[in-house]
Amino acid sequence: MSRFAELRKHLFGGTTSNARQFGMIFTLVGIVALFEILTNGLTLNSGNLITLVSQYSYILILAIGMLMVIVAGHIDLSVGSVAAFVGIVVAKSMHTYHLPWPAAILLGLVVGALIGAWQGFWVAYVGVPAFIVTLAGMMLFRGGNQAIGNAETIAVPQGFRNIGAGYLWEVGPDTGYNNLTLLLGLLACAAVVVREWRARKTRQDLGAEPAPLWVSGLRLAIILAVIVFATLRFAGGRVGTSFPISGIILAVLVLIYSFITRNTAGGRHIYAVGGNSRAAELSGVKLRRVNFLVMVNMSALAALAGMIFIARASASGPQDGLNWELDAISAVFIGGAAVSGGLGTISGSIVGGLVMAVLNNGLQLLGVGSDQVQIIKGLVLLLAVALDVYNKRQGRFSVIDSIMRPFRGSTPIPVTPTPTPTGTEPAKTPVAG
Amino acid sequence: MSEAPVLLEMRSITKEFPGVKALSDVNLAVRAGEIHAICGENGAGKSTLMKVLSGVYPYGSYAGEIVYQGQEVRFSDIRASERAGIVIIHQELALVPGMSITENIFLGNEPRRLGRIDWKSANRKAAELMKLVGLNEDPDTLIKDIGVGKQQLVEIAKAFAKDVKLLILDEPTAALNENDSQHLLNLLRGFRERGITSIMISHKLNEIEQIADSITIIRDGRTIETLDVKGQGINEDRIVRGMVGRELSSRFPDHTPNIGEVFFEVSDWWVRHPVSAERMVCKGSSFNVRRGEIVGFAGLMGAGRTELAMSIFGRSYGTYLSGRIVKDGKEIELKNVADAIAHGLAYVSEDRKAVGLNLLDDIKTSVVAAKLSKISKAGVVDKAKEYQAAEGYRTSLRIKTPTVDEGVVKLSGGNQQKVVLGKWMFTDPDLLILDEPTRGIDVGAKYEIYGIIQRLADQGKGVIVISSELPELIGLCDRIYTVFEGTITGSIERRDADPETLMKLMTSTKKMQMS
Amino acid sequence: MRKLVVRGVAAGAIALLALTGCSSRNSNDSGSDSGSGSGDAAKGGFAADSLIGVSLPTKTSENWVLAGDLFTNGLKEAGFKSDVQYATGGVSEQQSQISAMVTKGAKVIVIGAIDAAQLATQVEAAKQAGATVIAYDRLLKNTNAVDYYVAYDNFKVGQLQGEALLKGMKAKKPTGPYTIELFAGSPDDNNSGVFFNGAMDVLKPEIDKGNVVVGSGQTDVKQVSTQSWKAENAQQRMDSLMTSTYSSGAKTLDGVLSPNDTLARAIITSVKGAGKPVPVVTGQDSEVESVKSIMAGEQYSTINKDTRNLVKQTIQMVKDLQAGKKAEVNDEKSYNNGVKVVPSYLLPPVIVTKENAAQSYANDPKLAPLTK
Repeated sequence: MSRFAELRKHLFGGTTSNARQFGMIFTLVGIVALFEILTNGLTLNSGNLITLVSQYSYILILAIGMLMVIVAGHIDLSVGSVAAFVGIVVAKSMHTYHLPWPAAILLGLVVGALIGAWQGFWVAYVGVPAFIVTLAGMMLFRGGNQAIGNAETIAVPQGFRNIGAGYLWEVGPDTGYNNLTLLLGLLACAAVVVREWRARKTRQDLGAEPAPLWVSGLRLAIILAVIVFATLRFAGGRVGTSFPISGIILAVLVLIYSFITRNTAGGRHIYAVGGNSRAAELSGVKLRRVNFLVMVNMSALAALAGMIFIARASASGPQDGLNWELDAISAVFIGGAAVSGGLGTISGSIVGGLVMAVLNNGLQLLGVGSDQVQIIKGLVLLLAVALDVYNKRQGRFSVIDSIMRPFRGSTPIPVTPTPTPTGTEPAKTPVAG
Repeated sequence: MSEAPVLLEMRSITKEFPGVKALSDVNLAVRAGEIHAICGENGAGKSTLMKVLSGVYPYGSYAGEIVYQGQEVRFSDIRASERAGIVIIHQELALVPGMSITENIFLGNEPRRLGRIDWKSANRKAAELMKLVGLNEDPDTLIKDIGVGKQQLVEIAKAFAKDVKLLILDEPTAALNENDSQHLLNLLRGFRERGITSIMISHKLNEIEQIADSITIIRDGRTIETLDVKGQGINEDRIVRGMVGRELSSRFPDHTPNIGEVFFEVSDWWVRHPVSAERMVCKGSSFNVRRGEIVGFAGLMGAGRTELAMSIFGRSYGTYLSGRIVKDGKEIELKNVADAIAHGLAYVSEDRKAVGLNLLDDIKTSVVAAKLSKISKAGVVDKAKEYQAAEGYRTSLRIKTPTVDEGVVKLSGGNQQKVVLGKWMFTDPDLLILDEPTRGIDVGAKYEIYGIIQRLADQGKGVIVISSELPELIGLCDRIYTVFEGTITGSIERRDADPETLMKLMTSTKKMQMS
Repeated sequence: MRKLVVRGVAAGAIALLALTGCSSRNSNDSGSDSGSGSGDAAKGGFAADSLIGVSLPTKTSENWVLAGDLFTNGLKEAGFKSDVQYATGGVSEQQSQISAMVTKGAKVIVIGAIDAAQLATQVEAAKQAGATVIAYDRLLKNTNAVDYYVAYDNFKVGQLQGEALLKGMKAKKPTGPYTIELFAGSPDDNNSGVFFNGAMDVLKPEIDKGNVVVGSGQTDVKQVSTQSWKAENAQQRMDSLMTSTYSSGAKTLDGVLSPNDTLARAIITSVKGAGKPVPVVTGQDSEVESVKSIMAGEQYSTINKDTRNLVKQTIQMVKDLQAGKKAEVNDEKSYNNGVKVVPSYLLPPVIVTKENAAQSYANDPKLAPLTK
């Protein structure tokens, strides 16, 4: 194994799907660097990073839920409408019925979960494809938004606006930075170091071969450098600004959901259902319950995204959430999820979402018109997924190739189920590394 | 009849798949105007041979030659063979359910006039063809609205729309009831009188005995013999002997069973087909398993063995009607797979790739997938334990892989099967049901899997093995149940088990009088 | 080995700290130069070649496209750098465009809002970064961060539409009662209500007298509004009205109050589709197709709110601000956005019918030929 392959194998984990993520992170870094140069340093400017996070936090929150929906083998087209519906309900509850804003947030989440239960019921227990259920939901809840809001724009109170447009307090001595953001950065650094150390230890305890020390060190150095850099940037914005509260909400959700999808039985079940539902069922997974909960979760997150959006926009309007489903779905697919389900990670989707966000932001900073921005985004989505498909096909052949090579001639190999005629396939594909 | 000229001759056909020789020097000669049956066990190579003939495997992908109507032919695809008048009707019907009979008959072969489909002449021709095959339906009826027997007739009509000279039927009566089967057989006789040649692949030896003029027997990818039915006075026993007549060498590890008392018992088990309400897939089946016993289930394809097993395993197939399961003296109710697993049942499915494994998973996640609760606390999976469990099976089952982080898709069939076995051993079952555990696996791996099965039995577990390979059942099992069309027709102790006896029970409804 | 790693990491972190140490804290966010830090741009003025951001809603209406072109050219002539953007992707896109302008250090941001109530956060950020915010055509609501409002007098537009409708119907049919239908603009556009109220200011007395009858009985602004100013929505509603109210022939439609030209043409299309004679239909914006329609005798009137004048006035304000002066306003009491009264400059609209078209568009290179 070459150094590069070794690096690739260990830097971001071991399995095949991570190779894709590895590529995606490099794409992200590349895009950031490109725009940093093109915009003369505006892209990584404190103010821009802060707006970038608060601008895309709700899309990324949607991407978390969407990832799980897509991994389970479904799709949710209704998220934008659900967000808009919950938004208007929450805005109205505060505006007309003077509900205190914390209660309104709770109300929003409950309404979201109920909508999710409604959609989950049709998907899981009646067996209507999620595409149809949520297409219906898209119209249903868009109409609901307009019915409740009379197609008007309803303002939300100042306190509520914090979840979308708020920043951390300025406390402690004047360091020239937002102290709480610095603290968060420090915590993140510590967490990363502890995690790396523990991961090595666990693998050692198990007698498995841990990544070479230099790889661990390099990985740690890169991650810490990124965190330190980001922390200083976020902490060093205009007085009164910091890492946005919506960004903190997002970060917490990413941590929680990464843990759920990777480390819990429930998370495993989602992948099992999407990977091979019949096999999952025969392994004792309760298909319906998994499908139901995935849909409930999606709508609850859509509700949260909707609330963060109206908090940021300072009002709930009839056009909220328009095309959000497309942004969320793009993020998930750019992040390496499989259209057929069973594959994909939360972190991948976040990276995918960030690629789109930085692209969008960078093009806007360059003053590129929104018509061209859309064309470019469309092409990026297509290319990202096409590259994935291409890689997978290559991967598949090299997989077969690698199985055959050591045994060739001696041990018979079962017939591969691939029905494609051999003539049309590339005869030999180089294996990376 | 025997003086009729040879219509088709396949000479020295050899077809290899990577690592497997599916056909080896096979010869087949079919005379014009006869019904020629091809017999052999599952996997003997019958279907492969027919695919070679019909061009599914194009010229160049096999060795040997095909002489048809006195000339060597080299088909590049199905259409080429169809143009020559060779039409194959597969076991799975190739009909579009939402289209009418006429549309299906002419699908891909539509009569055109001025570039448009000429429905008038299509309908007229369809009516003629339907009369020919004895199908009394409105040509506009949708396929999904007629029974499977009539659908089969539509397939045959479709073949005739293509000017068939040689009709190949792969298990034509497998899905049909007695009446429909008889109708079909009569139809074939009618065709014979009209000079049409048929090749028929069938497991139903009684039908073959009734209708075939000659029989070619294939075993392990080789031609064993060709029998002239009328001339030699062939009966079912003779065919069976040809099909299974191989010596049983030491393909099995030595094993002394240590059998305890009955601990698992199923009685009067009735299950209905999930879609077709009239069809019963289990008709009052009763059986039992003793501790430490390896119990075989023998039957032909479609006999209902898998259906029986899956319906017991948490009602994961069909509609449960009635029946009792008693385990360790207590009646239990297994309403879903989770129940079944909780009660110590494990089912290793016959189709590893389609329903046994999530091919996207790596080895360690696959191994623990059926009992995550065993290694998790409050729903959180302990990855260290997961890794240890997987490592354990990698060593004990000798799974050939560098690490358990490897994706299962990268493993060979035998190793995948070991992963599946590990997955179910991990659930600590009392009863393992193994459905075709060695299908698609090479000989060496088979031997290892037999060893694993025997070790499981020695631990006091009950093991049910469903297999279509009689030698495997005879070599491995302590007792064998035979199943025919959803009915258990016999229970044979190891010492009484021989292929002829089993094959007889597997092909007839007559229940053996058990002593 | 491990020590080495730790040391390396520490060194890297320190290097980064040093690199990013010169934080831009306490100054405004503008990447290029740090101009006036204070919120009130009117005091100091700014460099003559500063960036001016213009955020417009959509490219689907001729007027916005024209405005965009005029801004691009006008600002360039005045020596400014300009960034003119359309938010075709909706409110969230407009939000991010405004944020990008702030990041780039725009000194003045001119905003033609999609939804005037949903930009508060971005406008406030702009304000804090030291930019002056001018609401263009649509008043930004619920924020005190908007400095100026420049628009045509929209209440007056409504009144003129109402008057034109009455006049047009009288010309066709000397005596009443007249049967009309009402259309309003998008409910999320602040101006829709102003137009409608202006028109009703004229029509209401006539309706109360019984001289004018609304055939369908739909007079509430919510019933008659047209979501997103979309022609298809107006056409759908008119189609239904033709079926429900006028298909029997018992009532004849004399006039339709339409808030703008796009909707007016959609309404006329619908009436024609139903096979009925074209009623008197008002409009606004002087769109090319509508001017043609007026000259052909179909649409009755439009409003000339010459975008040139509005853009010219806006650029004048930008110039004043650059020079450190206060921008000129002519109304400091009418436009309350929910938080404050926004100083406004209102331009007078002109009603255009077939009679005065040639004269009204004499200076317009695109429209003048159409009136000959």
